[in-house]
Amino acid sequence: MKAATRTLVVAALMLAAALVAAACGSEDTIGGGNQGEVQVAKAGKPTGDITISNWPGYIDPGKNGTVAEFEDKFDVNVSHIEDVNDNVQFFGKLQPQLEQGQSGGRSLFVVTDWMAKQMYDLGYLQELNHPDLKTVFDNIRPELEKSESDPQRKFSIPWQGGLTGIWVDTKKAPEIKSVDDLFDPKYKGKVTMLTEMRDTVPLILQSQGIDVDEATKEDWLAAIDRLKEAADSGQIRRFTGNEYTEDLTSGNVVAAIGWSGDASLIGREGVEWRKPTDGCDLFFDQMVIPAGAPNTAAALAFMNFVYRPEVQADIAEYVNYVTPVEGVQEILTKRDPELGQNPLIFPPAGLTKGCSGDPDPPGDAKDQQEVTEAFQDVITG
Amino acid sequence: MTRGVTIRRRLIPYWLLAPGAIWLALFFVVPMYFMGELALRSGTPAIGFTFDWAWSNFPDSLDGNTEQIVRSFYYSGVATVLALLIAYPLAYAIAQASERWRPLLLFAVIAPFFTTYLIRTIAWKTILADSSPVVDVLRTLALVPDDGRVLATSGAVIAGLTYNFLPFMILPIYASIERLDMRLVEAAKDLYASSRQAFLRVTLPITAPGIVAGVLLTFIPAFGDYVNAAILGGTNQAMIGNRIQSLYLFQRDYPEAAALSFLMMALILIMVVVYIRLAGTEASMGEEDEGR
Amino acid sequence: MEPATVTARPLPSLPARAWRWLRRNALRIYAGLAVTYMLIPIVVIAVFSFGETPRDRLDFALHSFTLEYWQHAFAIEELNDALITSVKLAGLATLGSTVIGTLMALALVRHKFFGRRAANLLIILPMASPEIVIGAALLSMFVYYQVALGFTTLLIAHIMFSISFVVVVVRSRLIGFDRSLEEAAQDLGATPLETFRYVTLPLLAPGIVAAALLAFALSIDDFVISNFNSGTTVTFPLYVFGVALRGIPVQVNAIATMLFIVTSLAILLVIWQQRHAERMAAVQPETEREPVIAQPLPPAPGAAGG
Repeated sequence: MKAATRTLVVAALMLAAALVAAACGSEDTIGGGNQGEVQVAKAGKPTGDITISNWPGYIDPGKNGTVAEFEDKFDVNVSHIEDVNDNVQFFGKLQPQLEQGQSGGRSLFVVTDWMAKQMYDLGYLQELNHPDLKTVFDNIRPELEKSESDPQRKFSIPWQGGLTGIWVDTKKAPEIKSVDDLFDPKYKGKVTMLTEMRDTVPLILQSQGIDVDEATKEDWLAAIDRLKEAADSGQIRRFTGNEYTEDLTSGNVVAAIGWSGDASLIGREGVEWRKPTDGCDLFFDQMVIPAGAPNTAAALAFMNFVYRPEVQADIAEYVNYVTPVEGVQEILTKRDPELGQNPLIFPPAGLTKGCSGDPDPPGDAKDQQEVTEAFQDVITG
Repeated sequence: MTRGVTIRRRLIPYWLLAPGAIWLALFFVVPMYFMGELALRSGTPAIGFTFDWAWSNFPDSLDGNTEQIVRSFYYSGVATVLALLIAYPLAYAIAQASERWRPLLLFAVIAPFFTTYLIRTIAWKTILADSSPVVDVLRTLALVPDDGRVLATSGAVIAGLTYNFLPFMILPIYASIERLDMRLVEAAKDLYASSRQAFLRVTLPITAPGIVAGVLLTFIPAFGDYVNAAILGGTNQAMIGNRIQSLYLFQRDYPEAAALSFLMMALILIMVVVYIRLAGTEASMGEEDEGR
Repeated sequence: MEPATVTARPLPSLPARAWRWLRRNALRIYAGLAVTYMLIPIVVIAVFSFGETPRDRLDFALHSFTLEYWQHAFAIEELNDALITSVKLAGLATLGSTVIGTLMALALVRHKFFGRRAANLLIILPMASPEIVIGAALLSMFVYYQVALGFTTLLIAHIMFSISFVVVVVRSRLIGFDRSLEEAAQDLGATPLETFRYVTLPLLAPGIVAAALLAFALSIDDFVISNFNSGTTVTFPLYVFGVALRGIPVQVNAIATMLFIVTSLAILLVIWQQRHAERMAAVQPETEREPVIAQPLPPAPGAAGG
C-alpha cells in the first residue's frame, strides 16, 4: 500500500512542478482567431475533387439532382456532406482547424449570415473576387446584393433563405397558430424549439410583444428565462437543430419551431408549416469559402453554377426555400403554376414584413457572450 | 561476465515496459496536465484564452453545473444499483449452468458489445418511442401515465445506462462467483445454516471483490456518459458529460470545460483510491505465483 | 434430508408441482429473461433493417419485408467512407496496441522490478477513467499545441486506450502458463530468444489473438474519445451520431447487423481455436481446479416423486 501511495504522491508532485514550470513560460493565447493574412479565393479551371458541407435537405443530392448535374458539366467529383445541423455545432467542429488556417478538407460550406460574419471577423474565410462570380452577380436579386452582415459581399454569397416558424401536426394539434400557443400546458412535452439562439429568442421576444430591434439585453435574458422555465417543467421536450424533423416524423411531438422549407425531411402526413401570428424570422444562409480551402476554382464554379436560373429553379423545386436568384419565378410558373405561386419560395412582401433577421444579441462583446452563455445553459439542459 | 548478464537481465522488464509506459504517459498522463493548464486560462472564444492562474474557474464551473453533477450521481447511482440487482443472479445462474450452456450464456452477455454503442442506444429509442407497442404495454400496466412518455425522461436515460453498462457488472461478478468453492456453501449448510444465511455469510463475502469491481466499472463510466442522455433524454436530463461536451465542442469555452472535467476526474479519482484501499491492487491484478 | 419412507403418497396437485418446478428452475428462468433483455436491441436492429421504409430513413415503424437495404448495404458513399476509415483506424490501432500491450504484459507477469506497482496503476487508470475525461484531456493537449485533429490524433488515442485492455487479457493468459515447456526447451539447448519464438509465442497466441480482437472491437466501437479528437474525420460511430440527428439510413442497421454477425463468428472461432490449442499443448486453463458447479443436492432417496 505504501508503494502505491508513494507513487501517487510522486506523480502529483511531478505534475505540480510541470505546471509551475510551463506556466512561467506560457505567453501565447489559445484561440482568438486566425491572425494571418486574408486570402482571396483563386479562380481557375475547375477539376478534381471538392467537398461541400451543407444543411440537410438543401439540395437534391440524388442521381438526378443538382450535385450530379454539376459533376457532369464540370468533370468535378463532389462530396456533398449534409453535416451542418446547427451553426454553433458546425462551427465548434471546424474551429480548431480554421484557427490554424485549415479548412477541414472543405472547399465550401453553407452557414447562416451571422455565422458567416463571425467567421470572417475571426479570419476564417477567404474573400471573393466579384469578377470571378459573373453569373452570380448577373442574376442575384437586387435586394440581396448587399446585406447587413456582408455589405460588399466580400465573403458570402446567398444560398437560400427561409422563414423560421412553426411546424404543426394538423391532425393532432390543429389549433396551434402562435409561438405563445407552444407554451400551452396542453402540449406539455410535445413541443420542440431550435438550438439556434437567433431564431428562437427573437420569436419569443415577439410573442411577448417586444420589438426585436429595440430589445435590450435584459429583454433577451428574460426571454431566455422563460425558455428555461418551460424546459425545466418539461413543456419543451428538447431543443434541436435540424432533427426536429425526426421528432415530427415519428410523432413524438405535435409542433416544432422550424424552418419553412423542410417539408422534404418530414415523413408524416398532415404536418404543415405556419407563420406564427405573433412574429416571424427571416434568415438567409450563405455560401462561404474557408481559409485554406482546396480547389477554390471548383468552389467558385459551383457558386456560379447554382446561380443559373434553370439550375436554381431545380433547387427551388426540390427545396422549397426562398431563392436569391432573379427570374426563377417565371421558369417555375411555366413548369408548375402552383409552384410558381408558392409563398414559401416567393414570399409576398406581407409575409416577411416585421420579421426579425437572425439578429445578434444587443450590447457589446461581453453582453453578447453573457446572453449566449445563458442560452447555451438552457439548451444543454 | 555474470554481473553483466545480470544487469542486462534486470533491464529486460524495463525494455519491455518502455513502449507502453511511454505511450500511456505521453497520451494519458500528460494530457491531464494540459487539461489543468487550460483550466487556468480565462478569456472568451472570440478574443482567445490567456493563462493567468484563473483558479476561480473551478468553483465557478462547480456553481454553474451543480444540477448536472447531482443528476449524474443520481442517474449513474440508480443505474449501478439496478445493474447489480440484475447482474448478480444472472452471474450466479451462469456459474451454475452446465459446461454446454455456459459459453453460450457468456456470449449472450457480451453480445451487445458487438453492435456499436450508439446503434444499441438508438435501438432503445426505437423500442421506447411514444408510439411503440412496448410503451403501450407499460401504459396499460399503469407504469407510465396515459398521456406520458418514456423517452426524454430520467427513466429512459437510467434504463439506457443500466443496459449499456450491464456487461461491465456481470463479468467481474461472474469471475468471482466462478471461483467460489461450493463445498464451502455445503459446509455451511451442514452446520445448519439456512440457504439465506449461507448466502449472506459465505457466498456474498467471498464474491464481494467481484461486486466491488463491477460496481466501480459500472458507476465510473456511467457517471461520465453523455450519449444516453443525448439520445434518450430531453431538456431536463443533461448530465455532466453533456455539459463538458457542449463546452468543449460547441461553445469552445476551453477553460470552463477543462475545469469541469478536472472536477469530475477528481471526484472519480477519490473513488478509485478508496477502491484500491478496499481491495488492494494485488488482489485485482492477480500476479503470477511468486513462489515459483 | 427426509428419512426414507415406504408409504406411497398421492402425487401433489398440479399447482403445487408447477410451483415446485418454478422454484427449482427460478434461476434458469431468470437467466433466460435476463439474456433476452440483453439481446432485445440486437433483434430490433436486425428486424428494422428489413422494413420497406419511405425515404429510406428509419422511422420507428414496422413495414413490409424487403431485402433491398441488404442488397444495397454499401450504396451510401458517406457511410462507406466512414466504415473504411473505421476499419483502417481499428486495424492500425490493434496492431500498435497489441504489440505494446503484449510486451507490457510479459514484463509485468514474468519479472519483479521496481515500479511494478506504479506500472500496474498506470494500466488500471485508463480503464477506470470515464472516456470523456480521457478524450477531453487529449483534446486539451492537442488544442494547446495546435495539432491538427484528424486520423493521426485518432490513431494515437485509440492505441492509448486499447493498451490497458490488451495487457489484462494477455496477462490472464500468461498467468496460467505452463513454464515447464519453456524450461524443457531451454534444457534442449534453445536460447531465450528461440524459446520465446518457438514455444512461448505460439502458446500465447490465442491470448494475443483474443486481446487483438478486443482492441479491434473497442476501436471500431469507440465514440466518445473519437468525438473529441477526430476533427472532421468521420468514423462509423461518428457517422451514425451525425445521421441520428437527421434520419438514419436503413443501411446502417443492415451494416450493424453484419458487424454483429461477423464479430460473433470471430469470437466463436477464437474460443473454438483456444480449446483446440489447449488440448494440443496441454496447457491448463487458469482455473485448474474443477470449475465448481453448484448442483442442487440430489433428491433424498424415496422422496415423493415430482
